[in-house]
Amino acid sequence: MNMQCEQFEQMLEQQELGALPKPAQSHLETCAACRALSADFSAIHEMALELGAEDIAPPERVWISLRNQLEAERLIHDPQEAPRSASQSGSGWWAAIQRPALAGAFLGLVLAAGSALGYFSNAPQISVQSPLMPQQEASSMPSADSVFKEEVLTVGSDSIPGLQRQDTAVTDSIRRNLQIVDNFIAICEKSVREQPDNQMAREYLYGAYQQKAELLATAMNRSMTGGLQ
Amino acid sequence: MNATLSSPVRVSALGAVMAGFMLAASPAHADRIEKHFAVQSKPKITVRNSSGRIQVKAWTKQEVQVAWTSPSGKTVVETEQAGNRIEVAKLMNEDGAAGDDSKTDFEITVPIESELSVRTDSGNVTVDSVHGDMTFDTVGANLQLSDVNGYMVVKTIDGSLVCNRCAGKLEANSISGNVQMIQPALDSVRVQTSSGNIFFDGSFLSRGIYIMKNFSGTIEVHFSSNDSFDVNASSLKGDVINQATFKPDTHGTPHAASKWGHSLFGTMNDGHAKVELSSFSGTIKILQRE
Repeated sequence: MNMQCEQFEQMLEQQELGALPKPAQSHLETCAACRALSADFSAIHEMALELGAEDIAPPERVWISLRNQLEAERLIHDPQEAPRSASQSGSGWWAAIQRPALAGAFLGLVLAAGSALGYFSNAPQISVQSPLMPQQEASSMPSADSVFKEEVLTVGSDSIPGLQRQDTAVTDSIRRNLQIVDNFIAICEKSVREQPDNQMAREYLYGAYQQKAELLATAMNRSMTGGLQ
Repeated sequence: MNATLSSPVRVSALGAVMAGFMLAASPAHADRIEKHFAVQSKPKITVRNSSGRIQVKAWTKQEVQVAWTSPSGKTVVETEQAGNRIEVAKLMNEDGAAGDDSKTDFEITVPIESELSVRTDSGNVTVDSVHGDMTFDTVGANLQLSDVNGYMVVKTIDGSLVCNRCAGKLEANSISGNVQMIQPALDSVRVQTSSGNIFFDGSFLSRGIYIMKNFSGTIEVHFSSNDSFDVNASSLKGDVINQATFKPDTHGTPHAASKWGHSLFGTMNDGHAKVELSSFSGTIKILQRE
């Protein structure tokens, strides 16, 4: 029996780390949209693992706050399964975050975790490079950020399982505002790089990361539901 | 095997749900369609639209009236009532109409004491004289609230917010939208926009907390000489322009001027309210009305 895109998505959600089952692999070979989705998940997960490997972990309250926000926005449904700390991050995230805001919520967590790492670190020589910046040398894969944007904003919505037609005005608005936020992030990063002990610049950098995460989650949410949910 | 239908519990639960709901799915036309829902006490009205105008106003009847027009006739509006909960959702038809074809204008009249939840992408939203908690989630839709009272939460990407004579609490987040609060009676304000401007012209109420923050726009605050508040204004790369006379802040720990950017700390009268204004590269203007 050939697997459908919807079944593949469900399997991807439920899949713990490791190789996909054979039917899913077969489906991947024939479906470009699911291949892109799978690549996105892998990229995000890799980034999450890299964050988790950092020495500096965000405080417990960051995760609690993130979880509460995601629950309030109904991006996650089962609070028992939500991530409790960076050290516990792993395959549990996969199951905790439900469709349709799966990738958006996950990326939000990653972005926010990245900002938290930067913001809460007291090390004066903090690396201000975004954890999702493409300059990362450790990995040759495309950044999760770029894969995500590609999926949400440029791939024809008809080609992605579950996506409905997106209003171009909405897409343009999201794209334009992503540029604004990216620009702010770059400016803030420059400020923090030049003035590492400038707390206000760090706070703005943190806020810009948070805005970007929320914007991407909104974009994914709007895209998947065709503006309605 | 039909396990679902053979289960008496499931069947009765399904029956109860069906009995409690009134589902009306009507194809939209250019003509105006109107529906009425009798409610008791404080109803909660949820509106989902993607494009088009949404007007909400209050009346004294214990009834919610929902009227809509769709110029293209290519949209479907679904309404649902379960007790005091009313949901209105614009759905796409099979053609998946987009752009102007998906536009639907709503006129909704609700009891004065009502809760609202509005989600839309583009098109203006106006709410007039409604008292109750409200949430708004928009992409590019502009929002105008007049004479409303409650806890208002606004999330938009590049829509603007104009709040005329709003009372209660306001939380607003935008990326490039402007936020204006004119003659507010708000005791809690948390407004943040990235490139948008923030304008506040009103009074700071005793015990109120007012936090306004942006990245690159202008923050302009007008207050009366009778207001009593502590102010903390900082712009990292922009200016802080103050045309009022403040006493040094005598509350809490003394503030040392930051070596980064421009900042102002001070107290007006007894400092009963707290005002925090913050910008990265924008200008902050603090102006006292005559």
